[in-house]
Amino acid sequence: MPNKSVGPMTSRQRVLAALQRQPVDRTPVCNPTSVATVELMDLVDARFPEANRQPELMARLAATGYTELGFDTIMPVFSIIQESSALGCKMQWEQKDNWPTVRMREPIWAGPEDIVIPPDFLTHPDTRCVIEAIKILRREYGDEVAIVGKTMGPWSLGYHGFGVEPFLLMSLDNPGKTKLCLDRIKEATIQFGLAQIEAGADALTLPDHATGDLVSSEYYARYLRDLHIEFAQRLPVPIILHICGRTVDRMEYIAQTGMAAFHFDSKNAPAESMQIVRKRISLVGNLNNPEILFSKGPEEVRLEVYRNLDAGVELVGPECAIPLQTAIENLKEIPRAVRDWHRQRDAANRE
Amino acid sequence: MAQLNQIHNEFLRQEIEEHIERPDERQRLIDNFVKASPAMQAISAALIEGEHRLVDQLTSEAIAAGTEALEVMDNGLIAGMAVVGIKFRENIIFVPEVLACARAMKAGMAHIEPILSASGIQPLGKVVMGTVKGDLHDIGKNLCNMMLRGAGFEVIDLGVDTSSDQFIDAVEEHQANLLGMSALLTTTMPNMGKTIEAFIDADMRDQVKIMVGGAPVTQDFADDMGADGYGKDALACVTLAKQLLGVKQ
Repeated sequence: MPNKSVGPMTSRQRVLAALQRQPVDRTPVCNPTSVATVELMDLVDARFPEANRQPELMARLAATGYTELGFDTIMPVFSIIQESSALGCKMQWEQKDNWPTVRMREPIWAGPEDIVIPPDFLTHPDTRCVIEAIKILRREYGDEVAIVGKTMGPWSLGYHGFGVEPFLLMSLDNPGKTKLCLDRIKEATIQFGLAQIEAGADALTLPDHATGDLVSSEYYARYLRDLHIEFAQRLPVPIILHICGRTVDRMEYIAQTGMAAFHFDSKNAPAESMQIVRKRISLVGNLNNPEILFSKGPEEVRLEVYRNLDAGVELVGPECAIPLQTAIENLKEIPRAVRDWHRQRDAANRE
Repeated sequence: MAQLNQIHNEFLRQEIEEHIERPDERQRLIDNFVKASPAMQAISAALIEGEHRLVDQLTSEAIAAGTEALEVMDNGLIAGMAVVGIKFRENIIFVPEVLACARAMKAGMAHIEPILSASGIQPLGKVVMGTVKGDLHDIGKNLCNMMLRGAGFEVIDLGVDTSSDQFIDAVEEHQANLLGMSALLTTTMPNMGKTIEAFIDADMRDQVKIMVGGAPVTQDFADDMGADGYGKDALACVTLAKQLLGVKQ
């Protein structure tokens, strides 16, 4: 929580403190998923799809989150597909105006015996790109800003490798086989995470889309809670779990994992979410993307920021990867609103 | 008015008792199940439990025993799928369970479709469905397909990454009266509007009702781009499809 006894902090200090629920000079602004937009791509001449595949362009576009928008983090991974490409999934890289996607209709796995982490997993161009981009950012920005890496969790990689429907049906028909698959896939999560930490990442986002829009909270407890505890223990930096959609019914389990933070979606009310996690995990979020950041103006963005700050959310930012056509003005409004909220609150406290 | 205790199948009685809260839906289900024979109720129960092998067996036995294919479809399979849709909407079951129920529905329909097709019985409507250009996500669209088929519609599924031309060609080829478009990404949502414009340019907008859906899509967005309707989930998609075609709910 913001604390007047804390002196001015760098962005990096602020983020790392908030991830540990330590006192901060003000609430940090953070996007653990992606800040890439078409406007930012044009501004720094680093566009998709190249910015997803060339480390210099990836680092240059990622840095705009700090240099142009005023966020306290830099996140160089704009998609959820880098390691899936290295695992052998078929890819659709798209163009400037769209995210790359895995062709999940062309699965590469049918059972646990198919899951092999290739020997070149960390030297494949699409994982190497992320590792090199983090090194560039660490070199250029030193200790001033928090650099956040991203390693996908086994549930999300299961969707990519098996296809969503076959994977979900397997989870219902054969829980033992599913657990074996997740156990094999998790090594990709660990290896890619450790490589990014070694390259200089201060924290890691770990997306693992066991969302309430697809599976029950009982599924999270059965398949993922223990794995997430293991990730928190084996990856020696703060881990930010990201799950889109409705998650309020599984936040109790998520709060038990030992992860540093949970990046939550606007489908979950901030105040209710804070009550459930009860300071056992920091919350990051949860500004609505399609209906506010993408569709409305700075005034509505400001109200959304205040809603989160009023609830006590530890790190404020968009709920997920920012829509590529989002106006920069809306994004710049987030750190402005955070500063204003703190000024107003401090003034009220003085009176 | 039919009563819950008139339903022969104990599992169905429990399902309604425990999970169906809205009075109108509850009464409609009770009415449907009471008029269904015990054999049809057993098919519904097996479908709700996602037991595809049992649905396959019971449907086959019912047809062999002389039950009309249409009766098996309406009073067995579709009646069961109605419960599945409500449980999914209310977050009592989730996608894996719905996929299992859809697999069971498919197992039953494998016995029914050839008979209905040979006898010339018409579906409630023909729906062309697809995820728009640039978008490879299809789980939401597939759930809609399952529910639409489970409600008696014929669905022509164009899959993912579907261009405006592909939508137009499919509507023309199949003489479809409904088109459903899905998008999961904010980047691909505008392609729904572009497809609607393409139908206007092709002078075909009046031939087809257009419905849209997907995680980032809203009623406002649907209205702005000129869609005829927006469905927030798979069950809403079925309700909307019936409404757009004037089918009694």
